[in-house]
Amino acid sequence: MIFSLPNIAIVVVLGLFGVGLYGVLISRNLIKVVVGLQIAVKGALVAFVLAGRLSSQVDVGQSLALTVIVADTIVAVVALALAVQVRRKFGTLDIPSLTSLRR
Amino acid sequence: MDAKTALTLLLVIPLVASPVVYLIGRISFHQSRGQYIVARWFALAALASMWYPLVVTAKAVLADGGVDLHVGRILLRMDGVGLFLAVTVLMLSTLATLFSFNYVSGEEDEEKFYALLPVLTATMIGLGCTRDLFNLWVWFEAMAVSSYLLVAFYHHQRNSLEAAIKYLIQSAIGSLLVLLGISLVFLQTATLNLDEIRPLLAGSGIVSLAAGGLFVVGFGVKTALVPMHTWLPDAHSQAPSGISALLSGVVIEAGLVAMLRALGSLSEASPAWGALLLAFAALNMLYGNLMALRQTEVKRLLAYSSLAQMGYMLLGFGVALAYGIKDGAAGGFFHIFNHAVMKGLAFLAAGALLYALHLSRGSHRALVLDDLNGAARRYPVTAFALSVALLGLGGLPPLSGFMSKWQIFLAGAEVRSTPLLWLVIFAALNSVLSLGYYAPIVNRIFRNEPSERVLKGNPIAPLMALPLLLLTLATVALGVWPSLLTWLTEPAAQGLLAAFGLR
Repeated sequence: MIFSLPNIAIVVVLGLFGVGLYGVLISRNLIKVVVGLQIAVKGALVAFVLAGRLSSQVDVGQSLALTVIVADTIVAVVALALAVQVRRKFGTLDIPSLTSLRR
Repeated sequence: MDAKTALTLLLVIPLVASPVVYLIGRISFHQSRGQYIVARWFALAALASMWYPLVVTAKAVLADGGVDLHVGRILLRMDGVGLFLAVTVLMLSTLATLFSFNYVSGEEDEEKFYALLPVLTATMIGLGCTRDLFNLWVWFEAMAVSSYLLVAFYHHQRNSLEAAIKYLIQSAIGSLLVLLGISLVFLQTATLNLDEIRPLLAGSGIVSLAAGGLFVVGFGVKTALVPMHTWLPDAHSQAPSGISALLSGVVIEAGLVAMLRALGSLSEASPAWGALLLAFAALNMLYGNLMALRQTEVKRLLAYSSLAQMGYMLLGFGVALAYGIKDGAAGGFFHIFNHAVMKGLAFLAAGALLYALHLSRGSHRALVLDDLNGAARRYPVTAFALSVALLGLGGLPPLSGFMSKWQIFLAGAEVRSTPLLWLVIFAALNSVLSLGYYAPIVNRIFRNEPSERVLKGNPIAPLMALPLLLLTLATVALGVWPSLLTWLTEPAAQGLLAAFGLR
């Protein structure tokens, strides 16, 4: 069965993770990097829910996923707050221009 | 007080103190503009009041081997490793808070600084007590978030913002990889309990290898293993000095403890984790020392030296895990404590000079090596403290850094394997190489003519000098009597080996 639930879910996990990581590595814009991180984390969420379902511990899988959502939102909030400050101080969100410390 | 209550208090006091400190800060800000004296002392009092529960817990841990605490379905157990981490973290964060009183006074958002410090402390103590892979990630992430905010404390400074952004993005990718690793383990074993996972993953092949790889890379970002280290020099040099001391002295070590805990659950899947740590040890030592040699800013140099020091710790733990040598783990833990003392002292002393020469004059320039010329003439105590710290980090004999490195090298020699002996010799040569950048600084401080800037520098407040004196004393005392800390490092080593199923 190629189209069984676990197989589809694993493709979704890897797809979300790949798209997110690609976005983080490729984007020059700080906001897009944060969005990429968020997408990649959603891949891990699906993996937790799938693991819970396969081991017939649906409640555990979902509670882990909820915890990840909370933790991950906090990170996104901090990242966006920093992005606001970067926009104010540097006048741009372009990551390659944040290079005053490179030496 | 029984041990359970003590452990609860140890985690609850700082987490409750944090919002209270913030509220006190806001209220007193509105009543007497710009005064945070109450918030400051309250934060310090909260940290100081944690020492009594810590002593009670420590007695129980040393007597029975562990203290259990059930929070709903979650089990927290403080064992030797957790106790070691708690003592190290609380020691350094109390002193760093005291140091920061003058250092951050008058800065914008000062109350948030004192509100976040107890949280950072609590999350690291909790990290050491976890018995569950997912719970480990939650503490780890909480620690990471509070450290992002503290690195970005000077958020009106471009450099600090840049450092915080780099740190946040790299660290977030790291924790993402850890999360994927955890979900792989959960898919395979249907449990997250570290002790239950270990036998279930025996011989499970590619899945646990992939999970282990994800753990090494993910936690490795926070631990600053060499290809994943690039955030470290920026974050450590741009954070307020008290925070630099904490980041370098305990936060990256807490990342290492988290990595060891996670790898412990995979120890029956592959015997190679110890060898992997040894490889990273060699890389970290060489790269950290070579990069430190070419730095001109003091705090950046100290940050690169943290990479090298992390290499010695990895060497100790690698020997312990690859060959089952307990002395290696004990040496590794001893070096973590000594590094917290010495690097904490180095960052605080450099911070005191930075404050006296630049910050107190409203300038956010970095402290460069030239600023240190003849500093001993104007600031004898601070200069002496900085020299003790640097020489200790370089591993000169009567100081504590020598003792822990010696213990690690001896553990390596105990194995009687030729390649490992070469690695130990390589580590010893690296220690000599590191004197190539520590010794010229000491020379500069004592023998060069004082520069204009040093002669005109502001005085250093006694409250700022007190933590420096205490840490200097500790560096010397642990060098002369290294057995002072055996009660702490031996149970920690035992706990670590037990987590890997080696004893």
